[in-house]
Amino acid sequence: MNISIPVVASLIILGLLGIGLYALLAVRNLIKIIIALQIMVKGVLVAFILAGRLQGDMATAQSMALVVIVADTIVAVVGLALAVQIRRHTGKLDTTALTTLRR
Amino acid sequence: MATTLLLLTIAIPWVGGLIVWLVGNKHASLQHRIAVAFALLAGGAGVALIPYSSSQIVVNLPLGSVFGDFTFVADGLGVFLTVVATVIGSLAVIFSVDYMHGEDQLGRYYAMVLFFIGAMSGLVLTSNMLLVFFFWEITALCSYALISFHNDDPKAVAGGIKALIITQIGGVGLLAGALLLFAVTGSMDFNALIANPALMPAKWLGIMAFGFLIAAAAKSAQFPFQTWLPDAMEAPTPISALIHAATMVNAGVYLMARFYPAFKDVPGWTTAVLLVGMITALMAAIMALVSNDLKRVLAYSTVSQLGYMFYAIGAGGIYASQFHLFSHSIFKALLFLGAGAVIHSVGTRDMRQMGGLGKQMPLVRAVFIIGGLALAGIPILNGFWSKEMVLEAGLAHAPIWTYIVMLVGAGITALYTFRCIWMVFYGQPQSEKHVHDAGPAMKVALIPLAFATLTSWLLAGSFGKLLGPETLPSHGIEISSLGEVIHEVLSLPTLIALIVIALGLAAWWWRGKLTGLSNALKGIGKAAADSFGFEAINRGIVKGTQSAAEALRATQTGLLNWNIFGIIAGLIIVLAVVIFGG
Repeated sequence: MNISIPVVASLIILGLLGIGLYALLAVRNLIKIIIALQIMVKGVLVAFILAGRLQGDMATAQSMALVVIVADTIVAVVGLALAVQIRRHTGKLDTTALTTLRR
Repeated sequence: MATTLLLLTIAIPWVGGLIVWLVGNKHASLQHRIAVAFALLAGGAGVALIPYSSSQIVVNLPLGSVFGDFTFVADGLGVFLTVVATVIGSLAVIFSVDYMHGEDQLGRYYAMVLFFIGAMSGLVLTSNMLLVFFFWEITALCSYALISFHNDDPKAVAGGIKALIITQIGGVGLLAGALLLFAVTGSMDFNALIANPALMPAKWLGIMAFGFLIAAAAKSAQFPFQTWLPDAMEAPTPISALIHAATMVNAGVYLMARFYPAFKDVPGWTTAVLLVGMITALMAAIMALVSNDLKRVLAYSTVSQLGYMFYAIGAGGIYASQFHLFSHSIFKALLFLGAGAVIHSVGTRDMRQMGGLGKQMPLVRAVFIIGGLALAGIPILNGFWSKEMVLEAGLAHAPIWTYIVMLVGAGITALYTFRCIWMVFYGQPQSEKHVHDAGPAMKVALIPLAFATLTSWLLAGSFGKLLGPETLPSHGIEISSLGEVIHEVLSLPTLIALIVIALGLAAWWWRGKLTGLSNALKGIGKAAADSFGFEAINRGIVKGTQSAAEALRATQTGLLNWNIFGIIAGLIIVLAVVIFGG
């Protein structure tokens, strides 16, 4: 298998998505969950650029990536704000503290 | 001009509702006046639409390329139901001035009523299936909010939730049909489908037809969904008159009539509509006979009369069904508002505690009797003509045994109507309470309705023209003059029907001598008082749902990781279906 840019990019995408997914499933610390989300979004960004290159439409891909970066920043900010509130409220950063609706 | 008028008919009540709500509950008399003014304006706009119905005004609100335009068409059927909604709506609002006098939270009340009137006009005027669904759900939500208006009364809250859940079950059928229409024809506009049913392959058309039948049956409280309407009687009485007698429950009949040209060749569809109507008409009439709650009697009679309309559609009598809808809206609104006047002054809905009220409330008695005679189908009131048209349609195009069942239903209708009138207005007074007469606003609302009950049948010819081939080319309604209706009604079957109705009347007159018969039928009466087991079925479904929810509670761990796993598993399944499912 010759090593070309699309292959490398695909491997990066899969790696980032896989790491992020594993962390989402395994980690219970809220800050770490937000980091995991960020890792996954970075994988998605690379995927956009790769798709743009393969389709020959880099402009659309880049604009999409920019939109995702902005949206993703907002997600991170809101997520961190929620994490702060949860920490103040429960004294923990652990998602197991958020199961109070369960009977 | 005409397009503005069409949009105004929908917009005026909505704007009015917003203003009434914003004015605030501290200015009650101002709220009354604003509500009446906007309701009357909407009524005027609705009536002003009538001359435009034959010119087929089409209003397109462009909404991008996905769902196509939001189209409104002012054709005969739509304009007719708009007039019913806005005019009877304004009378109900006028009546409310007296009925709701001194209530808290009038803003919420009037806002919901006006919002409902606008949504009902929109529902019947649009030809975009997506909008039909939206307006359909808005009317259901307004109905729910108004049934539960007295939200400190557990019965009212329960009745509202029951109505909401059952009509939502129907809403699923409507949504499925709408999505099918979009998926197969690529457009949400249904007028093309009505003009040419071959646009949809037979199997999809069949699913759509029966989905719409479920939606219509749930909305119009038809078998097997009839249980919500009697419980909806916890609403303030003007609401029962407007929403649960004259307009919203007619939405199902409207839907069936509107789509009749598209669905009539679907195998089994007309028979299903016919049987749903027949079963409902008979069953609800028997239940009305054993109920002692004044408003529940009227609710059961509404269910029963809606059954007559379904029956007429099943038999192909679109004109008969819509004409009966027209008459029924008028005389049932009259009966409900009359009942509201009685309940308002007596303070109870139990007919066993009434009796002898005629002397104190002569006007209410007079208009209630007019409405009752129309309900029973006594000539020459409007109910007589339209009910005979329904029966004629059944005799001409339906199996003869269904006609006989409907005749029996007509007899029972006469029987329970006279039982109701007798228990409320005649006999010995059952309570010592002082009874005051109806207020002036109540009378203002009652008198036009009573007059219309006496005379609206004279409009049969123009009504036929309104629904004629000029505006509804696919429906094939040919009646264009009063003479044709009179000619069709004055025949031997009508005489038979009148004899049956007279028998029902006689049965109430000689009820003392018929104790043997009534004892023999006690079993049926007891079953009817238990709503023929449908309440038990409802309770069973609720219980089953609750225990299933309890059992599935274990899957809700509340853990974020577990939820993410669920989301991703679902995503993988969807992806797999999309990729491998073809």
